[in-house]
Amino acid sequence: MSAQALVNAEKGTSLWADAWVRLKKNKLALFGLGVVLFLIVIALLTPWIAPYGYEEQNLELGATPPSAAHWLGTDLFGRDLLTRLMYGGRVSLAVGLIATSVALLIGVAWGTIAGYVGGRTDAIMMRIVDALYALPFIIFIILLMVVFGRSLLLLFLAIGAVEWLTMARIVRGQVLTIRNQEYVEAARAMGLSTPRILLRHVVPNSLGPIIVYATLTVPQVMLLEAFLSFLGLGIQPPQSSWGLLISYGAEVMEDYPWLLIFPGLALSITLFALNFLGDGLRDALDPKASKD
Amino acid sequence: MFAAPLRRFFSILFVCFALSGCGQGESNVESGNRQQILHFSNGTEIQGLDPHVITGIAEHHVVQTLFEGLVVKDSQTLELEPAAAASWTISDDGRIYTFTMRDDARWSNGDPVTAYDFEWSWWRALQPSLGSQYVFTYFPIKNAEAYFKQEISDFSKVGIKALDEKTFRVELNNPTPYFLQLLDHYSTFPVHKATVEKYGKPDESYTRWTRPSNIVTNGPFLMKSWRLNKRLIVEKNPDYWGAENVRLNQIVFHPIDSEIVEERMFRAGQLHWTDQVAIDRAPWYRENAPERMRIKPYVGTYIYRINNKLPHLSDSRVRKALAMTVDRQTLMDTVLNNIFTPSYAITPPGLLGYQPPKTFGYDPNQARALLAEAGYPNGEGFPEMELQYNTSDQHRKIATAIQQMWNKELGIKVRLQNKDWKVYLDDEATGNFEVSRGGWIGDYVDPNTFLDMWVGGSGLNRTGWNDPRYDELILKTAPQAKTREERFAAFREAETLMMNDMPFIPIYTYSSHHFVHPSLKGMHVNVMNYHNFRDVYLDPNWDKKEQASGQGE
Repeated sequence: MSAQALVNAEKGTSLWADAWVRLKKNKLALFGLGVVLFLIVIALLTPWIAPYGYEEQNLELGATPPSAAHWLGTDLFGRDLLTRLMYGGRVSLAVGLIATSVALLIGVAWGTIAGYVGGRTDAIMMRIVDALYALPFIIFIILLMVVFGRSLLLLFLAIGAVEWLTMARIVRGQVLTIRNQEYVEAARAMGLSTPRILLRHVVPNSLGPIIVYATLTVPQVMLLEAFLSFLGLGIQPPQSSWGLLISYGAEVMEDYPWLLIFPGLALSITLFALNFLGDGLRDALDPKASKD
Repeated sequence: MFAAPLRRFFSILFVCFALSGCGQGESNVESGNRQQILHFSNGTEIQGLDPHVITGIAEHHVVQTLFEGLVVKDSQTLELEPAAAASWTISDDGRIYTFTMRDDARWSNGDPVTAYDFEWSWWRALQPSLGSQYVFTYFPIKNAEAYFKQEISDFSKVGIKALDEKTFRVELNNPTPYFLQLLDHYSTFPVHKATVEKYGKPDESYTRWTRPSNIVTNGPFLMKSWRLNKRLIVEKNPDYWGAENVRLNQIVFHPIDSEIVEERMFRAGQLHWTDQVAIDRAPWYRENAPERMRIKPYVGTYIYRINNKLPHLSDSRVRKALAMTVDRQTLMDTVLNNIFTPSYAITPPGLLGYQPPKTFGYDPNQARALLAEAGYPNGEGFPEMELQYNTSDQHRKIATAIQQMWNKELGIKVRLQNKDWKVYLDDEATGNFEVSRGGWIGDYVDPNTFLDMWVGGSGLNRTGWNDPRYDELILKTAPQAKTREERFAAFREAETLMMNDMPFIPIYTYSSHHFVHPSLKGMHVNVMNYHNFRDVYLDPNWDKKEQASGQGE
C-alpha cells in the first residue's frame, strides 16, 4: 500500500459528501429536488416565457376551459390562467425563500446566543420566545401590516418574523449539547472570542437540523401567504399568488372547475416536493434520526 | 378591519361542514318554516341601531323591524298608511301637516308613544353634535336647516310642535310633494327619551342605550339578541298595536358579506333570502331554478366617488376621462352577467317620468385627449391611484375590470384596496380616499332623493365637490316650482351641470337581485325593493301546493 493511498483512506469523507450519497439513494427526495429546481427556473424565466401578460384582460372571452390558445383555460376576465399561474408562482416561491431566510437569520442568531450564553440570558430569551408563541400569529402579522403599511416585501418579512420561533428553539437545543463538547472547551481554552467560537465551531456543527427545518419552513410560509392573501391581507389584484388563485377558483369551482384544479395542483405538487426534499435531507444529514 | 375576511373564511369553512352534513337533521329553512322564523341574509354587519345615527340598507332592515315612524309604506303599492300616527290632515296650501297619534301605540317598556316623543326625537336628530347623516330629510321643515346650522338657537321657531299628547303639527317651508314619504325613513323614527338620556347625552352617538338589554323600541319586533358578526335576532312584539297581523315569530339576520357564501348557504337550506345574487351563478339559476332567483328594477345607482379635493383629481377633465373609459356595456355583458344596466348619471331612468341627462358615453379617444389637456398625456406624471371598496366579491370583480380599463386606455395605474365596511365608511366620510366605490339607493320615489345629497355641506356628498348654482337649483328653484314639469326642468339642469363636472363616476343602475326560497311569502316586488316584515310569512306547505297544481320543480 502506497503512502498516498493511506492518506486517502484516512482522509475519510466529509459530512456533506456522506449526506449527498445518502440523499442520492432517496428517489423521492431527488424527485423533490428536481421539481423545486424546475419551478425556480420557470419562476426566474417567467417574464420572458409567459404566453400572455398577467393583467391582460379579454372581457368578451370570459372564462373558457383549456384550449390550444390557453393551455390551462382563462378566468372570468379572460386572463390566461397559465400566465397567472406562472406569475403567481413567482410570488409564492419568493415568499417561501425570503420569509424562510428571515426566519433562519433571526432564529439561528437567537437560539445560538441563548444556548451558548445560558443562565439568566437564556431564561429571558426563551421566555420571550414562549410569550411570542402565545401570541396569535395572524393578529401579529395584521398589526405589522397596519403599522407599516402594505407592501409585498413587508408581507414576506412579517411572515418570516413569526416563523423564527421554532427555529430558535431547535437551534438552542442543538447548541446546548455542542457547547460542552471538547472541541468547544478547547477553543475556549485557547482564548478565542465568543463570536468567533459561535461562528467557527458552534453554528457549523448545528447546521444539519437547521437546513432540514428550513426546507420544512418553506412550504409552511407558502401556505401562510396563501392564507393571508385569502383573507385579503396579502397581495391585491391584478397581482396574484397561488393562494389567491385557489381562493378565487374555489368561489367558482362549480361553474369553472379548471380555475381551482390547476392552481391547486401547482401548490400541492410544490408542497409535496418540498416536503420530500426536507424529509430526505433530514435522513441524509442526521443518520441517527433516520429509521434505517 | 380584519373581522370581515376572517369571518368570510370561517363562514366558508362552516358552509363546507354544513354541506357535508346534509341529510342529517333539519335545515334552517325547514325548521324556520315550521316555527315562522325567517332566516334573512343581511349582507353586512350593521353599524348600530340608533335610527338617527345609522346609514345603510342592512341597518334599515333591522331598524325598520324595531322602530316605527308616523307613517309606513304599503309594501305592494308603496302607498302611505298610518303607523304611529292614526291619521293626518294637510292644510290647503300644503304646508301644515297635523298628525293624530294612535291611542294604542306603546313603547316596549309600556309607555305610550306620544306626540312629545316625536317632538323630542326630531329635536335630537337636528342637533349638529349628533352628526346625523340624514339630517337633510328634515330640511323641508320650516327653520329646520337654520336650526341645524345654528343660525337660530330657539327650537320653538322650528316648524315641529307637539300641541298635546295626541297632536303633532309640522310646518314646512314649501309644499313638498314627497314629505310624507320621508316620514317612513328611519331618520325620522322616534326614540325613547328616558332611555336615551339614561345612558348618555341626547346628542351623543353610540352610547349604551342601543345595547340589546337597554334598548326601548316601538316597532312590530323586539330585539332578542345580537352576537356581533354572527347573527342578530328580533322576535315578534306581542304588545305592538298591529300584532295580530304580524305572522313571523322571529327574524334571524345573518351578516354575510360574501355572496358566494350566501349562495352556498341558500342552496344548503340555511337561508330563505340572500342579500344578493352570486353573479357567476346567475346563468345556472336562469337555466335550472328561475323561480328561486328574483331580478327586478330598483332605484339605485352604483358609482365611484372621486375625492375632488386631491390635486390630481381636482381637474374635471381628469374625472371625465376616467368616466369615459369605463366600458359599461361590456362590463354588464361579461363580468356582471346582465344583471344590471349601464348608467351615465346619478338618477335612474323613469323615476316618476323623469329622464336623466346623458352627457357622455364610452369614448377612450376623447378621454385620452382630455387627460392630455389636463397635463397627463398617456397618463405620464399621473400618480398611482388607490381604488377602495368594501370587501365583497362583486365589488372586487368590477374594480379589477375597471382597473384594467383605466390602465389600458389611459395609462393610469390603479391599486385596489378592500376594506371592512366600518373602516370603508369612515375613510370615505373623512376624505381618506382617492376613488371609492359607492352606491345610492333612493329613499323615496322622487329624483330629489338622488340629487339633494350632492349639495355643498351634505354629509353624503363626500367628494368635496360643490357648486353654488347646483345648490340653488336643488334647494331653491325645485322646491318652489309650481308644476312637476318646472320642477323636473330644474332637476335636469342641475344634474346636467353636475355630470359635466363629474364629481363621481356613474357605473350602473341597480336591480334588486336575490335568491328567494319559494316558501317565503309577502316579500312583494316593487321599485324601492321595500319590504315590510309585518307582511311577511313562511308557508311550510309550499312544496305540496306546487305539486298539487302541477308546477313542481
